[in-house]
Amino acid sequence: MFYNPYIVFFSCNHPSSTFFPLSRLFYRYRDLAPQLVPLDYTGQPDVRLPYELIGSMPELKDNPFRQRIAEVFSEDGEGNMTLDDFLDMFSVLSEMAPRDLKAYYAFKIYDFNNDDFLCKSDLEKTLNKLTRNELTEEEVRMVCDKVIDEADLDNDGRLSLEDFQHMIVRAPDFLSTFHIRI
Amino acid sequence: MELSELQRQGSAIGDSYHGAQQSVRLRSKSVASNQNGPLFDWCSFPTERGEDGESEPVQDLRERPMPMRLKRAIREVQQMRVPVVTNWQSWKRSKAKSLRRFRADTEGALSSIALWRKALLNIGGQFGGGVQSYFIFLRFLVVLNFLSFFLIAGFVLIPSIVFQITSTNNTTVDSSGKEDCTVYDPNPQGLVLFYQYFLDLLSGTGFMEYSYVFYGYYNNTVADSGSFHYNLPLAYLLTCVFYFAFCLICIIARMGRALRIAIATGSGTVGSYSKIVFTGWDYGCQGDRTTKLKQKNLHYQLQLDLEEQRLQKKAASLTLGQTVGLYSLRMFLMLLSITLIGVAFYCIFKATVFSQGKNENTGLLGLIYEYLPSIVITAGNFVVPFMCDQIAQFEKYSPSTTIIMALLRSVFLRMVSLGVLLFSLWSSITCFDNLQDCRSCLYNHNQYPCWETRVGQEMYKLTLFDFLITVAMLILVEFPRRFFVDHWSCALTRWVGRQEFLVPSNVLGLVYGQTVVWTGALFCPLLPLINTLKFFILFYCKKVTLFSNCRPAVKTFRSTTSTIFFLVVLLFGWGLALVALIYSLAQIHPSWSCGPFRSLETMWSIVPNTFYTLSLTTQEFLFYMGSQAFSIPLFISSCVVLCYVAALASVYGRSVDLLKAELKMEGRDKHFLVKLIDEQRRKMGDRVDTFDTGAPN
Repeated sequence: MFYNPYIVFFSCNHPSSTFFPLSRLFYRYRDLAPQLVPLDYTGQPDVRLPYELIGSMPELKDNPFRQRIAEVFSEDGEGNMTLDDFLDMFSVLSEMAPRDLKAYYAFKIYDFNNDDFLCKSDLEKTLNKLTRNELTEEEVRMVCDKVIDEADLDNDGRLSLEDFQHMIVRAPDFLSTFHIRI
Repeated sequence: MELSELQRQGSAIGDSYHGAQQSVRLRSKSVASNQNGPLFDWCSFPTERGEDGESEPVQDLRERPMPMRLKRAIREVQQMRVPVVTNWQSWKRSKAKSLRRFRADTEGALSSIALWRKALLNIGGQFGGGVQSYFIFLRFLVVLNFLSFFLIAGFVLIPSIVFQITSTNNTTVDSSGKEDCTVYDPNPQGLVLFYQYFLDLLSGTGFMEYSYVFYGYYNNTVADSGSFHYNLPLAYLLTCVFYFAFCLICIIARMGRALRIAIATGSGTVGSYSKIVFTGWDYGCQGDRTTKLKQKNLHYQLQLDLEEQRLQKKAASLTLGQTVGLYSLRMFLMLLSITLIGVAFYCIFKATVFSQGKNENTGLLGLIYEYLPSIVITAGNFVVPFMCDQIAQFEKYSPSTTIIMALLRSVFLRMVSLGVLLFSLWSSITCFDNLQDCRSCLYNHNQYPCWETRVGQEMYKLTLFDFLITVAMLILVEFPRRFFVDHWSCALTRWVGRQEFLVPSNVLGLVYGQTVVWTGALFCPLLPLINTLKFFILFYCKKVTLFSNCRPAVKTFRSTTSTIFFLVVLLFGWGLALVALIYSLAQIHPSWSCGPFRSLETMWSIVPNTFYTLSLTTQEFLFYMGSQAFSIPLFISSCVVLCYVAALASVYGRSVDLLKAELKMEGRDKHFLVKLIDEQRRKMGDRVDTFDTGAPN
């Protein structure tokens, strides 16, 4: 294995910036496009991998939410990720990230129209992605109504971040399902 | 401590919300707006809070939802600020930091060498949390049995071997009188056919009977050489008692962990729909097939919940006559299933009594007679739940209630059938129906020259038979089923389909096996070791069948509540074994001819006998501990501790509710303030308009 100055610099100064061993992730990032990603990151080059490469990773390629995940963690909001974004993403999705952090990003993922609220259309899109469009219109509507009934605390017909986090606290499975093993 | 954690979480939610708000703006709008507003309080000094001063700012930083670049910059700034401390404080800090790192490294190392960690992760990823919890439970039982074996080996087996080898220097107490009661000759006479060894291995007779495996081989040696004094019977008894206590402590510790999570997440009705929608998707799912299955699973779950709601609405709208009819139908069907279970119990009783009476047959027929109780129990465990399931279809409960009822019935059937077996054994040993036989030796010495070994053999046979049946099912039923379903497609195979890994019935099998081991541990000291091997091999067998033959279940089990359920059933089995143990220790006369308790009235009487050989002061001290002057204050103080803990739990529950209400209130306040601001703005707008229109004139 090489001596990678960026990783050494990174890990010496910030041993705890992520929840993860860094060099393994760096090599995974590099393996997606070896001709684009240099080995030497000391100059902090501005390298951005397009969404298609990220979405083709085996951990993500079958996930129905992969596009939203890439959009949420990328800087430009389109899914093109720098190394920082990549590390951020897998750090939050690791098993050691705290629940509040995961809940915050999960909220962003399910918020399709980026308006900081989970409204009915967001829920419908989430539901369709979850069940592969197999529920009938009637059933989708009923489930969305039920979800808003259960989780909406301030009665505005849509879920804010606090409603979401409040509901996540009562769901102990969340930590184990919102987790990608890499 | 946990209260402050809750409060910290509450404020962290608020904090992260503020941070999140601004960071959301940061990410979704242009890069130029990067300079807006303080995202992080740059002036904050990493404050020290005891030894954890170093970790607090670092933890805070990691947990904030900020882009990596910003976190790095902040950390650089933080590191530049070196707090001025004394030599002693800086030494303390560096020591604390290295201790924390050491602890984290050790935890990481321990978790990486945990048994079957990768296999469990693999299972969880492909089949979900419910199936994974079964395998975690199995691993727990393997470790429990292995550690118990060390306990037994250290205090009973090894001293016994040592005393056997160095058979000088010990005193065996002679059992005088009762000549015909001490006749016991387990060693086979004359030529033994070669297959007899195999049959003996399966039934625990012959060469296995008089060996370390069973109770009968151990002597009542009391080694007394100078300063070394070892009372083997006392050690045997106390080891067994401590074994039970050890298992109880392990189970309760594990249950405590699971309950803490369940209680902390609130006891109110958690929204099942929101849970499915937001936490149902397992992001670790990989592979096209698994993803499709998971989606179908979620679809089915949602449909099931909607269906249950429809049923509930229908049930609520029944007329009085229909309700009465439904309840009477349910009562009748319940009686029917209880009758079925009762019939199974009677069959087990009869089979055991019959098998005990047939000692003399040898060969294959003899083996079948020996195994008759096990065969009947296993057959009952297959047939009765199947028939109860068919009955349950007419009971028209909601799907979740049906599952719970089926589980309760299975648990009842399995545990009580074991109890019936034990009862029938004991009634033959203590001559329930024919008191003549027990007159001379206080137990049925004709049929049972060494009754403890007999009971141990029965438990050994049950364990072995359970294992053999599982392996036989694997080879003869599960693999062929998959073969036929995959390679033949007719209506029958399509209806039968691939097998599903049913978690509850598998778990009940494990609990049953463990209960048998607990019951038999007193009479067969090596049974925990045999069980460890059995469960170890079972893990691999079940894993193989899971990956080759099973399709992922459509109905999944919620993993956290199911852990508690498994442990509760295990505790129930433990209670049953404890009753059996107490009865054997305190009521039945030990055999005259074998074992470490051969000259005593009951097994328990070794304890008082040894007690009176202790020094006078120790005796007085122990008497005092047992007297009222000590035990009543102890009882009162433990009641006080119990009340305190209960009060603490209720206070936490109430503070959770208060915090929830506070959250709601904050949301409403925000709305109210936003509305006020809107109104004010509108008013200002109107006033400006009237101003404008008023001025030029």
